[in-house]
Amino acid sequence: MREPNPRSGWDHLLVMLTVTILGALGAQSLVGTMYAWWMYRTQPLWEQAGYDRFVSVMNLVAAPLVVALIVVMGLCVPKRLFTRTRLAAFSAIMVAASAAWSVATGDIAAGLTVYLVLAALIQLAVVVLTLAGARGLAYLSETRLAKVGSGFLHLGFILFAIVVVALQESRAMLPVFAVSAVLLTGGSALAFYARSSARAPLLDDIDD
Amino acid sequence: MFSPQATATALGDTVRALDTIGRPLEAVVLLAAVVLAAVAVVPTLRSRLHVALAATTAVLIAGEAVLVWFHIRLWQICQVPDFTTGGIAGAFAVPLWIESEKLYVWALILALIALGMRRHRTEIRPLLALGVAALAAGAVLWSHPFTEPLPDFLAQYESYLSAWGSGVAAAMFGAYQAAEGSRLYFYNTWYMWVHPPLLFVSYGAFVTSFAATVLMIVRRRSSFEQTAYRWARLGYLPLTFGMLIGFPWAILAWGGESWWWSGKVNMSIMMWLLYTAYLHARLYLRRRGMWRVVAALAVLSFLALVLTYVTTYLVPGAHSVA
Repeated sequence: MREPNPRSGWDHLLVMLTVTILGALGAQSLVGTMYAWWMYRTQPLWEQAGYDRFVSVMNLVAAPLVVALIVVMGLCVPKRLFTRTRLAAFSAIMVAASAAWSVATGDIAAGLTVYLVLAALIQLAVVVLTLAGARGLAYLSETRLAKVGSGFLHLGFILFAIVVVALQESRAMLPVFAVSAVLLTGGSALAFYARSSARAPLLDDIDD
Repeated sequence: MFSPQATATALGDTVRALDTIGRPLEAVVLLAAVVLAAVAVVPTLRSRLHVALAATTAVLIAGEAVLVWFHIRLWQICQVPDFTTGGIAGAFAVPLWIESEKLYVWALILALIALGMRRHRTEIRPLLALGVAALAAGAVLWSHPFTEPLPDFLAQYESYLSAWGSGVAAAMFGAYQAAEGSRLYFYNTWYMWVHPPLLFVSYGAFVTSFAATVLMIVRRRSSFEQTAYRWARLGYLPLTFGMLIGFPWAILAWGGESWWWSGKVNMSIMMWLLYTAYLHARLYLRRRGMWRVVAALAVLSFLALVLTYVTTYLVPGAHSVA
């Protein structure tokens, strides 16, 4: 396990990548909604004639962004455990395994599911190690509770992604979803409120 | 024994009683909103802001109490007899934050936040007071919660009573199916009693966060940024949980539809994504220039919130009343 280096460039890169992808999905939502509003206003029969095509285009644009978000989320998980070199190797293995599964089954969702399950298993290990107080896990958060919260939060995200990608028609959907909802909300609460940096002044003043 | 005529009479009496109490109440709410806005804007009156805010909150609470009474009466009156047995299948438990009552509840929640907040209250309260005044005035002038209550629900239930009173079996059966469907799968669901208030609490917190962000941008003081963050994280929790519990409900209710890209749902997801991006970006606030990114995301997130609310009324689709 590597020594904690909470301000590493890799962490920053992953956070900024996440922010960029989330922002891009947000921008797509805005543009899509404005387009739909305009079409509803100007073409009375648009819902019958054009809505399905609109949905297809939105899905087409969103798909790579969602895949990228899932990949980045997966990369965020092993960073707690491994050094930069091992992290790169492990991330490459995860991406390769999911790509191979996608090609073998002809189904991108199946490949993403493999990727997410791998990420979930690693994140589960991270959460267990964090709860056990293991040293060497790299977190941005300072306090143990905040680290546990961050661990829960990421595990909740991964489980929710699994629900969306693979379990919507399954009987396991509701129980897995319920666990993800509790982890996401409870993890967010812990990550937000157990972190000491919220109380300390972050900047003396803003003048840049 | 269920009587459509007696039920219609009782319902009409209740709506008229609400109108009798609510008409002057709407005028008082509007007056309170105007006074509150004036006190918030005029510097010489600012020392009275706490009193004006407390008075407006008291008026809003009194109005909410009247609405609670109205909803209890609806629960007692608006029953649905079973088509086959004739026994009462159940009654409508209409949530307190739908249709004409949304803005009113939002105004009340924001007023309570403005009254209870501590950090930077001298600077933030005037902005929140303006928000409360705008929402309260909007509720009275646009939604009319007391004088034109729950238009969709009452129209549906009156149509149901009319069909039931016609004695035509086919009409009665169709009306029963529609009424029982909306009772069981919309008005009375636990989801409708949990999801909207969670979102309104989060909206109230986000308004406060936005006010602090505006002050941070204008005055360039980082302590406002911390206040903005505190309220944003407080709002993010009910927003996340509220939206999450909507997910399985949406699959059940809109199964087969492309509801992901429906206007309101789409914008809600955008709002959540932007607030997630804001809270993520804030992890690196100490990096040079990062406050600009964080401030931009905070403003964008709030604009997304406003757009999300407005979209309900502008863009047709699932989860919309346009």
